[in-house]
Amino acid sequence: MQSRRIALAQLAPALGALEENLARHHELLTEARDHGADLVVFPELGLTGYQLQDLSGDVAIRLDDPRLAALAADTTGCSAIVSFVEESADHRLFIAGALLEDGEVRHVHRKLFLPTYGLFDERRFFAAGDLLRAVPSRLGVGLGLAICEDFWHLPVAELLALDGAQVLVNIAASPGRDLGATNEVGLGTATSWRTLMRAYAQLTTSFVIFVNRVGVEESITFWGGSEVIGPAGDTLLSAPFFDEGLFVCDINLEDIRRERLALPLLRDERPELQVRELERIITERAGIAQDASSEPGGAEGPEVAPELGPGRPAGFTGSAIGHRNTASAHVDAASAHRATATAHRTTASAHRDNASRHVDAASAHLDTASRAEAAGPDAP
Amino acid sequence: MTRALPAVPLGEDGQPLFVLPDELAIDTDVARRVIADFIRSQLRQAGFERVVLGLSGGIDSGLVAHLVADAIGPERLHCVLMPHRTSSPASRADAETVVAGLGCSSEIVEISPMVDGFFGFDARPGAAGPEGLEATPLRRGNFGARMRMSVLYDRSVTWGGLVVGTGNKTESLIGYTTLYGDSASAFNPIGDLYKSQVRQLAAAMGVPDGVITKAPSADLWPGQTDEEEAGFSYPELDRLLYWRIDRRRNVDELAAMGFEIAFIARVERLVAASEFKRQMPPVAKLGPRTAGVDYLYPRRRPGSART
Repeated sequence: MQSRRIALAQLAPALGALEENLARHHELLTEARDHGADLVVFPELGLTGYQLQDLSGDVAIRLDDPRLAALAADTTGCSAIVSFVEESADHRLFIAGALLEDGEVRHVHRKLFLPTYGLFDERRFFAAGDLLRAVPSRLGVGLGLAICEDFWHLPVAELLALDGAQVLVNIAASPGRDLGATNEVGLGTATSWRTLMRAYAQLTTSFVIFVNRVGVEESITFWGGSEVIGPAGDTLLSAPFFDEGLFVCDINLEDIRRERLALPLLRDERPELQVRELERIITERAGIAQDASSEPGGAEGPEVAPELGPGRPAGFTGSAIGHRNTASAHVDAASAHRATATAHRTTASAHRDNASRHVDAASAHLDTASRAEAAGPDAP
Repeated sequence: MTRALPAVPLGEDGQPLFVLPDELAIDTDVARRVIADFIRSQLRQAGFERVVLGLSGGIDSGLVAHLVADAIGPERLHCVLMPHRTSSPASRADAETVVAGLGCSSEIVEISPMVDGFFGFDARPGAAGPEGLEATPLRRGNFGARMRMSVLYDRSVTWGGLVVGTGNKTESLIGYTTLYGDSASAFNPIGDLYKSQVRQLAAAMGVPDGVITKAPSADLWPGQTDEEEAGFSYPELDRLLYWRIDRRRNVDELAAMGFEIAFIARVERLVAASEFKRQMPPVAKLGPRTAGVDYLYPRRRPGSART
């Protein structure tokens, strides 16, 4: 059996404390090796913590930093993935993950997608990476490394798999949020990630290893829940939420061959089709070429029909050629029609929301208009 | 795949203890765990081991007392009861029930002399002069809230603990708080929970039923209740805020969902008018690097903790 032992270091790094985190990495590397681990995976920014803001430059290290070499020196006979702030020779800061093997830094992945929306502000402090490569590994199969948000962009897992990765590793610092009681696992973020991991494993017929940190920084609690998913989408390990720990799991590389023969999805991928269509889409989106699939009179951007009727979904009008011949008559009224269509959709979704609405009998008869305006503490 | 909604616990009369709109129901186990980790982390990162809390007898501070005791043990929690002469005696009794149930340390600090010292009492003017005798309940209420804050920050020193905040998301969003009064704290474990969710978590944490079911009140003057003063019920207000803020529905969509136009407009105004209460005051940008603008550090970093 082609068995490999994977150790997931689901830790809570100390924010901005590089030396303390380095010491913890050395300890856990030793502990994992005592357990016979072939690969030890640490979470995103495990060496520095996540909410660094203006501390980012203070904890950044260069790839020739002796402290990184010292960590690598702990990997004789095994592999490890560690993550830190990398400063390039031209002084850009990257969120980086490094594959350390047999005493060397074998590969560095710079986070490609930096979320800068909602509770995230990464692009303010970091530069985005430009390279995505699957790399050979001591495991005996290709390894693809990605960092957190990288997996919220569809091409990443596919490119890694097409490039030869059979084990996909995502290291994350995912903040937990949305405690809605109907969530499958009590945490909306976790539900989304668990869905993604299983989809990637099945669609790329690869192992997926997800290592998410735990701990609290400022308002944010990172939820852990690290996982190992098999190439058929089967769950091999689910680490607990919120608990720090080293979690170990054996994977059988023969499962990859078995699954890929039974379900030859990767064999049937059509990268040349993607390249062809992407080249067209890129020029159209840039306005360099005329949009070949839009309706005359349609707005820029996504394909939207000039006229929408009941039962006719947006962006799809049946026979494109036939419609195009008649569409010009609607051009003048196109934007008005679109506004109506949007209103229809809004009403429809409001109805759905209404259906699940809790009826609160006690408040139904409240007459808000007849009551005096609240004095309220500190009325402005 | 989704799970079924949790059942609302029943009171002794067989009726649900409170109204919990479906969309607001949370996983209380996860909430309890996240909040416990949050409390422990805030203390550790600041170099503190203890917490000081202003306990009113209401559900918000009662829940926070339970959450803190759950996270660090009741022996590290000190509750300060700070009644005013006009405060409801029932509030104090409820606060004492919570303290007895948890077995934490507590004390009573009457704030009447502090408030009277400023506004005057019984026709004798205070520091504010004769005009102070005519002060409105609103001014007195806000002043009292800031006196309580002063007491808590003094006890923060004598008890050696961080002041924990007890304001919920609903009152924060509509600005039903006293700036630098009840809104002042070192950290707040329930500031992202709507009132309905506070009730749900309070029931799960074992806060006494009587504290959960009584009408919420700022208790700034006799007989005051939040819902009568504001003119709407918490479940309905929570739902509106949830769809408006968390689910980003616009006003037209809210109206289509069945919320009254006047209600929507009024809450819009309350939220907009209280934005200043939820933010640090702006500093005039003059130098090269300004705190909160382009000098951005996490609140705690190596060297931040009290030693």
